[in-house]
Amino acid sequence: MINRRELLRRLGVGSAVLPFLGNLPSLAATAPTAAKKRLVVVFSPDGVVKKNFWPTEMGAFTTLPPVVQPVELPPILRPFEPFRDQLLMLKGVHDKVQGDGDRHMRGMGCLLTGIELFPGNIQGGSDTPAGWSSGLSIDQEMRNFLQSKPETATRFGSLEFGVLVPNRADTWTRMVYTGPNKPVTPVDDPYQMFHKLYGQLKDRESMKSVLDELREDLATVANSLPADDRRILEEHAALVRNFEKELSSHHAEVKHAVPVLEQGIVEQNDHMPKISRMQTELVVASLAADFTRVATLQYTNAVGQAHMKWIGVEEGQHDLSHEPNSNESAQEKLTKIDTWYAGEIAHLAKRLAETPEPGGNGSLLDHTTILWTNELGEGNSHSLDDIPWVMVGKGLGFTMGRAVDFKGVPHNRLHLALAHAMGHTGLTRFGNPDYCGDGPLTGLV
Amino acid sequence: MRTFALRLRLHVRHGWIVAVACAAILPAGGTRADDAPAQPAAPPGLAIYREHCLRCHGDNGVGTQAVPDPLAGERSINQLAAYIDETMPEDDPDKVSAEQSRQVAEYIHSAFYSAVARDRNRPARVELSRLTVRQYENVAADLFGSFRWNAPGIDDRRGLRAEYFNSRDFNREKGLVYEQIDPEVDFDFGIEGPDPERFRPNRFAIRWSGSIVPPETGIYEFVLRSDQAVRLALNTAWYEPELIDATVKSGTDTEFRASLRLLGGRPYPLRLEFSKASQGVDDKTHEHPRHASISLLWKPPHGTLEPVPARVLIPVDSPQVFVLKTPFPPDDRSIGYERGTSVSQEWFAAASAASVEVADYALAHVEHLARVKRDAPDRADKVRQFAQAFAERAIRRPLSADLKALYVERPFADAPDLDAALKRSMLLVLGSPRFLFREAAAAVGTPAPDGFATAARLSFGLWDSIPDQQLRDAAARNQLATPQQVRAQAERMVNDRRTRAKVRDFLFTWLRLDHGPEIVKDKTRFSEFSPEIAGDMRTSLEMFLDDTVWGTAATASRPATRSDFRRLFTDDEVYVNGRLGPFYGVSMRADAPFRRVRIDEGRRAGVLSHPYMATVLSYAGSTSPIHRGVFLARNVLGNVLKPPQEAIAPLAPDLHPTLSTRERVTMQTSSVACQTCHTMINPLGFALEEFDPVGRYRTAERRGDLEKPIDASGSYLPREGAEETFRGARELAAMIAGSRDAQEAFVRNLFHAVVKQPLRAWGPDTLDSLRKSFAANDCDVRRLLVDIITVAALPPPATASATPSPASAPPPQPPAEKPS
Repeated sequence: MINRRELLRRLGVGSAVLPFLGNLPSLAATAPTAAKKRLVVVFSPDGVVKKNFWPTEMGAFTTLPPVVQPVELPPILRPFEPFRDQLLMLKGVHDKVQGDGDRHMRGMGCLLTGIELFPGNIQGGSDTPAGWSSGLSIDQEMRNFLQSKPETATRFGSLEFGVLVPNRADTWTRMVYTGPNKPVTPVDDPYQMFHKLYGQLKDRESMKSVLDELREDLATVANSLPADDRRILEEHAALVRNFEKELSSHHAEVKHAVPVLEQGIVEQNDHMPKISRMQTELVVASLAADFTRVATLQYTNAVGQAHMKWIGVEEGQHDLSHEPNSNESAQEKLTKIDTWYAGEIAHLAKRLAETPEPGGNGSLLDHTTILWTNELGEGNSHSLDDIPWVMVGKGLGFTMGRAVDFKGVPHNRLHLALAHAMGHTGLTRFGNPDYCGDGPLTGLV
Repeated sequence: MRTFALRLRLHVRHGWIVAVACAAILPAGGTRADDAPAQPAAPPGLAIYREHCLRCHGDNGVGTQAVPDPLAGERSINQLAAYIDETMPEDDPDKVSAEQSRQVAEYIHSAFYSAVARDRNRPARVELSRLTVRQYENVAADLFGSFRWNAPGIDDRRGLRAEYFNSRDFNREKGLVYEQIDPEVDFDFGIEGPDPERFRPNRFAIRWSGSIVPPETGIYEFVLRSDQAVRLALNTAWYEPELIDATVKSGTDTEFRASLRLLGGRPYPLRLEFSKASQGVDDKTHEHPRHASISLLWKPPHGTLEPVPARVLIPVDSPQVFVLKTPFPPDDRSIGYERGTSVSQEWFAAASAASVEVADYALAHVEHLARVKRDAPDRADKVRQFAQAFAERAIRRPLSADLKALYVERPFADAPDLDAALKRSMLLVLGSPRFLFREAAAAVGTPAPDGFATAARLSFGLWDSIPDQQLRDAAARNQLATPQQVRAQAERMVNDRRTRAKVRDFLFTWLRLDHGPEIVKDKTRFSEFSPEIAGDMRTSLEMFLDDTVWGTAATASRPATRSDFRRLFTDDEVYVNGRLGPFYGVSMRADAPFRRVRIDEGRRAGVLSHPYMATVLSYAGSTSPIHRGVFLARNVLGNVLKPPQEAIAPLAPDLHPTLSTRERVTMQTSSVACQTCHTMINPLGFALEEFDPVGRYRTAERRGDLEKPIDASGSYLPREGAEETFRGARELAAMIAGSRDAQEAFVRNLFHAVVKQPLRAWGPDTLDSLRKSFAANDCDVRRLLVDIITVAALPPPATASATPSPASAPPPQPPAEKPS
């Protein structure tokens, strides 16, 4: 695999602009590529209202023949109406990992890792205290696999987005791990993520915008100096000219539209809808630019406490989620909350569907799968059974447009199936091997 | 006879022996000849030139009417000699023999013909220079620092403030039990905790706060060890994430590491929080007796892992320091000090990237720097004011109307939003030669006298940084016009951590220790030697240098000492700690901190015999009188030694088992060619033979079957006066302490380190007057700094008339050996 510096050398770009180059297309851009496969894992917290989340019966969502009588979309999934054909819902896939930590902690820390938490000092609402997860998460397993091969390596390998993740690092706020005791902090500030993705491009633009005035200033100073001192400033001026030339070279241009973010959006509860959309645009742009093929988008955290006033819910989500099923008002509000999340994910799907696959057929959504999940199956019972798994998009080549009940398989097997679908077919165990049973979950393709 | 010896030492250029390893320690080139301490005596070629060449080529080859072109070109000495032998003098080439041709070629080549000679002959002048890397880093730090509160000054308090709480968090009202100063953070509380009377064993918390002052610039690795919840904030603002957040204890992880680049000599805010209690939900159900400990360790750039020592901790808070991350290519140091008289593509790329880094930092912290809330109605005004103040401080003078339009008004009028405007303004300022070049700001259409230029010379001289508020105010009120006014400022400014950091860097450069030499010792002969010992030696030297240069306050056991250059050589005490003390025969507790001890019955002599110097200037298994002698002759006494024409490996001790090191070195350097330099080098280096390769005192050299008493007799022929003889380090130290050569060399070196311009640009007499003042003031280094900067901060006196003007002589046009 060639490194960035080597690539720049081949492009014939001088060292002067090195700090300003960065928005390169995928490192693999020049290599012949197979169709790209992408995965975006989206997390929302606190379990779901089961009666409004799961369909009353399993079966086909799609309306395409030979289906005659498609299953009705449950209320929470109604935003996915336009994506019926590309929707896949998995019931009966449980998080069976045991050990230290309360259910929210295990639900979060074991969700993508499939392995126990270490003993530790974080006391939950019940159970013994625990620490971080003892293994890496499936998205990072995929990242490592993709980055190891030149044809699938990308600039970042993976990107971790967040929306209003609290500013504290603990077992409830971290879902992605690069290894045992190595949680990854999601970037929940869209401006920070923008800077990570496009900072150097913007720096180039800023530098370009001041060069004319810099040159004038330089000339004024040089003209006022004795001849002996002018020499070094003339050399300096030559470097400025050279720099300008390199900045203007076509190598430095990006090949896709850079998202424009609304400025001045502060991270606070009421801005959640705006931040969600900003992050969505950055996810779409990152995939379009092939900055990464694996992304995670984490809404708040396990025990998340969003107050969704914009849909008329004043109470915090976690408080509501503790109410019994008999509390109709709470059930209704929680349904609204989950429907809002579904709407955001459907919007992401829409944006992907609107964006053509670069250099390929169809749309980004045809080559991407969104996987929506949660740390709990149900909030008030803190159940880790029937973890919600909703997929949208054809990236992984699964048979879409349906709901399937696997009747109680450990979720480690789903992770194996996801990895295999991403091309990582050598992976036979993931997380705690005791939960890998018969290997990758079958019946998805 | 003595005159002859002097002549030989300084001007015969061949046959100089030095070990191959010298190249690693001593830079090629050495002092530039324009600052050479003594005027060359006439070489043999000069007489021949006068007899046969002068009438056509003129004095110093400037040309005559007959042959107007000056003698200058690119031929080597051999080529030139052959050319002269064949063709010169034109009327009869046989008049000059081949040998004479060679001598005349050597003379004209080194006197005025070669490019090197032409460069050397240019009159010294203050050259337009860009900021050095060190200056850029300091300026960036102080630009932002100037918008924050003042960093704490120098005092004697050490350690960290410690607040002890009987709760799991850090609420002073609810949980504070007591506070105290803890010298270090290295505690094992066992299962009971710090005090069972006052704390529950499973529920207490401690917060340490203050600042850390790293001795030198470089990458420091911090290691936090604890089995409980801990957080370390180091140089982070309150609104930023901690450097290490180990609030979550997980599995067997008890060690957390983070590396940080820090600029030496500045205080950085430090806050360390420790909580023995479950975190998360406040529930004691699952609490059970547990062990608790915490240690804060570091690995400094040239040291080994150890608890962060009390001597670098102060119990006073300080503001965040901006530390530039963009790497710059190193500065030119070919003439002995860093200077910014050239630009390169790499430097320009780094400066551009740095300007973006600085601007981005400003954007990220603008609310705190400009003291304005994000949604404040006057935000635009405040940000613009910040941009203007930033520009004025960066270019070191108030903005004229034109510059205000360029740097502030236009960017704020044109940019799409406030952030973009601020960024554009800063990129313009940071890219301007008025910021990047030192003297440029002063040269541009400003009427003399220019207090702002003087303020900048003062601050760059003493701090390598921009003027502070007091200097800016003084400049604005035209109170930097007289030497008295400048001196008063300099006296204030010397007592600043930045001056200390700069002087420390200078001393390490002067002692050739700035790169942190890799020390390897013979494992069988020096089995107790270790990297830890080497690190302690360096620390010991640092502490000694600080004491000597700045003086010490009186304590219960010793009177105050003044700053005194001579004590660098004559002091007989050494700083040792629990590891270093026993290595030199002082019994101390293993964990004892550093203290000053008179070891070896007063036979020590400051830096000359300091463990670190003696060790660095030695081989793995034997001393190196040549390294030590070169160091003394060149760095301490200021003589110009040219490198040997060929590198020669030192004789292996094993091949001459019956010879002492002194005898072996004498034998290897006995040829006439070698002797020209080694008559000076060897007798200096031999005087330190009492100190073995790891700096231990010895009376005999023992190696295998060999046992020979040490002969530490030596001598030195000063540039003026009679030869001095001495025996051993103490007598050598006494000689150096009274040596005009040593004082002169120190004054010149310090001047160049401070001012970064050739001393001769301030006229031919400045060196001598500075040296005389230095001697008259008991070699007070602090006073010398003030003297130097007082001279250098005001414009050089009209020296143009004293030396030939560069503008009046046409530049030499190589090649130009036209036969007459």
